[in-house]
Amino acid sequence: MRNLLNFIIRYSTWFVFTFYVLLSCILLSQHDEYHASVVLSSANSLTGGVYRAASGVTGYFNLRDINRSLQESNASLENEILNLRNEIADYKSIVNDKDSTTAPEVAEIARFDYILASVINNSTRHPRNYFTINRGTLDGIKRGMGVVDHNGIVGIVNVAGPHTARVISILNETQHFSVKLKDTPYVGSLSWHGGDPTIAYMEEVPRHAKYRIGDTIVTSGYSTTFPYGINVGTVMNRVKMTDDNFYILKIRLSSDFNTLSTVRVLKDSYKAELDSLATFDIKADE
Amino acid sequence: MNKNILTLAILYPLLILGQALICNHIMLFNVATPFLFIYFIVRYPIGASRNLELTLAFLLGLAVDIFSDTPGVNALSCTLLAGIKPTVFYAYVTRDDKTKHITPSISSIGWQNYCKYLVTLATIFCLIEFTIEYFSFTAFRDVLFMTLGSTAITFLVVIGLDSLLPASKTTMA
Repeated sequence: MRNLLNFIIRYSTWFVFTFYVLLSCILLSQHDEYHASVVLSSANSLTGGVYRAASGVTGYFNLRDINRSLQESNASLENEILNLRNEIADYKSIVNDKDSTTAPEVAEIARFDYILASVINNSTRHPRNYFTINRGTLDGIKRGMGVVDHNGIVGIVNVAGPHTARVISILNETQHFSVKLKDTPYVGSLSWHGGDPTIAYMEEVPRHAKYRIGDTIVTSGYSTTFPYGINVGTVMNRVKMTDDNFYILKIRLSSDFNTLSTVRVLKDSYKAELDSLATFDIKADE
Repeated sequence: MNKNILTLAILYPLLILGQALICNHIMLFNVATPFLFIYFIVRYPIGASRNLELTLAFLLGLAVDIFSDTPGVNALSCTLLAGIKPTVFYAYVTRDDKTKHITPSISSIGWQNYCKYLVTLATIFCLIEFTIEYFSFTAFRDVLFMTLGSTAITFLVVIGLDSLLPASKTTMA
């Protein structure tokens, strides 16, 4: 027994070293996107508090760029509203029906509500990037909600603490988003391959899909996370085909992740209904 | 020695915050990120409790991990770095009674030895860090460039921090 104790004391450094290496490896292997814990993420109350305090100072940086970008976005929205008004007026005059404004598209947009949030921590240098926002479960944030800024989609809520939440950025190699070539039926999967934070790829685009350089890519609306039609980016060019039936498009992302500041977290009022339908389906199968 | 330990104790939380709030947001030319927090491991006295050093190194890495949402990456890198540190130190400094209890610094082991010691540690750290994070052979070129870039900038910030802090004349315990 004494010999054993002596042995342990003598080689204690090796035991301690091995213990910490194993512990780190466990942490590494359990880093699962879906089961991430609040305690070990930047959404916990201590790190959240530190980031909130720091963003009180750094929040003022980049305001010039953000302001310019907001003005551009505002101008294009005003333009769009004008066009839509004209279009609605045209339809009204043709159909002469008072209810014609409640078209399905309008109902679809009203389905989503949003919660405004500020980005208090952001990273673009890792292969798996996340950012932290200053809203949590107490503000109605839940895991799986989509996050957009004034330029387009930016991520999905992954871990929600009471006052802060961690969002999986588009700039995360493990995350894929369902996207569409605007005004066409062609759907693909958006993914980021690391490196440049302004470039992503639209994969699994059918071979027969037609596109032009500069075409807009938008969300497909095939999930409760994002409605149809939110900007994602524009087509830069086609990348070498990996499969006979599909090709990959190189996309310039519309959101600037280096100046991410104010974002909107989307709340789908149909989510509970759609989820219950999904479980009903499973029960029916059983 | 006591003064050094006090300085390191005060620096410990500051290094974590400095890394989380400033250095983590720096990525020069898409390859160079400074790892300021390894300053603690670099300057932890040789001959002081190894178990304590490994524990503090692990916790240092874990704290940075929690701030950067990279669980395990920095914790493992810091533990391995603290584990290999004495071997690296004695590769450049003769092992004798004088160097048995010493705080690695410019004044204690000289410019040349300190620079060689620091560059080696920074290279090892960056290599481990990026290899774990980009765990695939396809990213080998990226890992290499990032290691080179980050080693260079880490070296600069550590030397910069060294020059800001009061130089310790105490070399012996």
